[in-house]
Amino acid sequence: MAASNDLAKPGEYKPIDLLAVAAAREVNDGDIVFAGTGLPMLAIMLAQQASAPNAVCIYEAGSIDGRPIDLPTSVGDARCAHQASVAAGLTEAFYGQLHSGYVDLAFLGGAEIDKYGNVNTTVVGDYCSPEKRFTGSGGNPDINALARRTVFIMVQEKRRFKENVDYITSPGWRLPKWPSGEMVHKKEVYGKFFRGGVEAVITNMGVFRFDDEGLMYLDTVHPGFTAEQVKENCGFDLNISRVSGETKPPSYYELELLYTKVDPEGIFLP
Amino acid sequence: MGKPQRITLKEAGALINDGNMLTFSGFTIWRRPMALIYELVRQGKKGLHLFEVNGGTHTEVLAGAGAINIWESCWVGHELYGKLGEGVARAQCENTIIIEDYSHAQVVARLLAGAYGLPFFPTALSMGTDILNPQYDMLKKAGLRDGSNPKIPMQKYTMADDPFYAMGEILLMPAANPDWAIVYASQVGDEGTIRVNAQTYTDAEVIKAADKVIVLAEEIVPDSYLRSEPEKNIAPGYAVNYVVELPWAAHPTGSQGYYDVDADFIRNFYAASKTKAGYDKWAEEWIFGVDGHDEYLAKLGITNLEKLRANKVLGYSTRAKRGSR
Repeated sequence: MAASNDLAKPGEYKPIDLLAVAAAREVNDGDIVFAGTGLPMLAIMLAQQASAPNAVCIYEAGSIDGRPIDLPTSVGDARCAHQASVAAGLTEAFYGQLHSGYVDLAFLGGAEIDKYGNVNTTVVGDYCSPEKRFTGSGGNPDINALARRTVFIMVQEKRRFKENVDYITSPGWRLPKWPSGEMVHKKEVYGKFFRGGVEAVITNMGVFRFDDEGLMYLDTVHPGFTAEQVKENCGFDLNISRVSGETKPPSYYELELLYTKVDPEGIFLP
Repeated sequence: MGKPQRITLKEAGALINDGNMLTFSGFTIWRRPMALIYELVRQGKKGLHLFEVNGGTHTEVLAGAGAINIWESCWVGHELYGKLGEGVARAQCENTIIIEDYSHAQVVARLLAGAYGLPFFPTALSMGTDILNPQYDMLKKAGLRDGSNPKIPMQKYTMADDPFYAMGEILLMPAANPDWAIVYASQVGDEGTIRVNAQTYTDAEVIKAADKVIVLAEEIVPDSYLRSEPEKNIAPGYAVNYVVELPWAAHPTGSQGYYDVDADFIRNFYAASKTKAGYDKWAEEWIFGVDGHDEYLAKLGITNLEKLRANKVLGYSTRAKRGSR
């Protein structure tokens, strides 16, 4: 018998479960989702099984609307292309699907984020002689640039939520317009190519959204945390005046799907 | 042009000169021409200029050996099996490598221009990022944008106004035409027709963009077999210069329909790659300690390899343990 839609109680789920479930709830049924590796994969596959059966998924390595029966470990994985509508390459994914305007929702990760939703996945410190290098951009800024909405899924730590990121890998709401580098709204950088931007950031502590100025605010707090604790874990002066309540915990049904259908092998879920 | 020439792995390695600009087939830890990457390290190649759609285990094998002078790309790591590219990162922090960062689709734009014989390709992707910060143009800082190297464009990018529909500013990315594309392909016809399975990545683009092409073939099959379903093929034989037939040539990366990624092997390499000494010890065992590809496979052992072998129906292994359950 399927598990119920009753909500799980604190202690009955792990922080990563809520991260995946909260992200999955951002998917509207019928969305064309362009997802990155890791938690975004869990979230889209959960959404497809739980609440958005008509959502489809594109991965940048070239699988268009795949129907994996085994969780891929990365977007290049053979499993992504199982029962795909089209198995092509990066040109098709980035230009044929994304640039052409099909993509509703970008589902991405990040290492650091600033108050305008600019994300860094490139370096810590001065780019010309960095202290640490992350993986680099990958397709993160591309997908985020031209999807109509973007949801970032991240771990929340004070050092990762910064006033200014060391390097803007992926575009938020206020950006440098090159060559001058003047900070302007994303609309001014993208002009007629503008389609939208960062809609939500989901962490292990809460769900964040952006106001009309493009500034991040706390929308809901995960069970077990207070808004003040979230603000404490943020490197900039977070707006907590608009908190609308507590994040809805996972249902028993969503948890069962996560552990028996989406990731039964324990690839991303411990 | 005509049919590609069949050569050995050692001969393929000897074709690559120090300082050459290389690009590769595959995507992160899938369909990488690993056997030839090892051979380049074995032959002591230096000063290589990599232009690649993304990096992976192959990049890290070359970086650890100190073989890379310039790395133009957008990402390096080993996916789930090693979260960073430690060799590239160390070289960047120690200033022993020149890194030019792009976004994924910007690298694709450069390859598309190169593949189609166009001087540049327009894109609106990843505008307003530090990738385009003029202060971070590292090839310019190194004085390499003076036009003296025909493989390095005189600007990293430029912005132009759309002259046709008044869409406003758009990025123009210069063509990339590497000296060599080093490709791993699942099946190569005896006349050189190329087929890969599932996602095509940028394999067709790198073949067209490069001046010369070496293909490591998982297997060579009659061209007539591939020609019976031409829509599944990505390149004709005349686009390929050299072919090496070499089963398991992509190991430890995966090849759809043939074998899965060797997760444990990559995890072990990643752990070793965190220090120079660790890399050197690993390379002594797996690159210099074996005479070539056959010895490498013998050292891996048939039991290990059989676990990776793809299920014939699904195209990936159902026996490799992937997670914690």
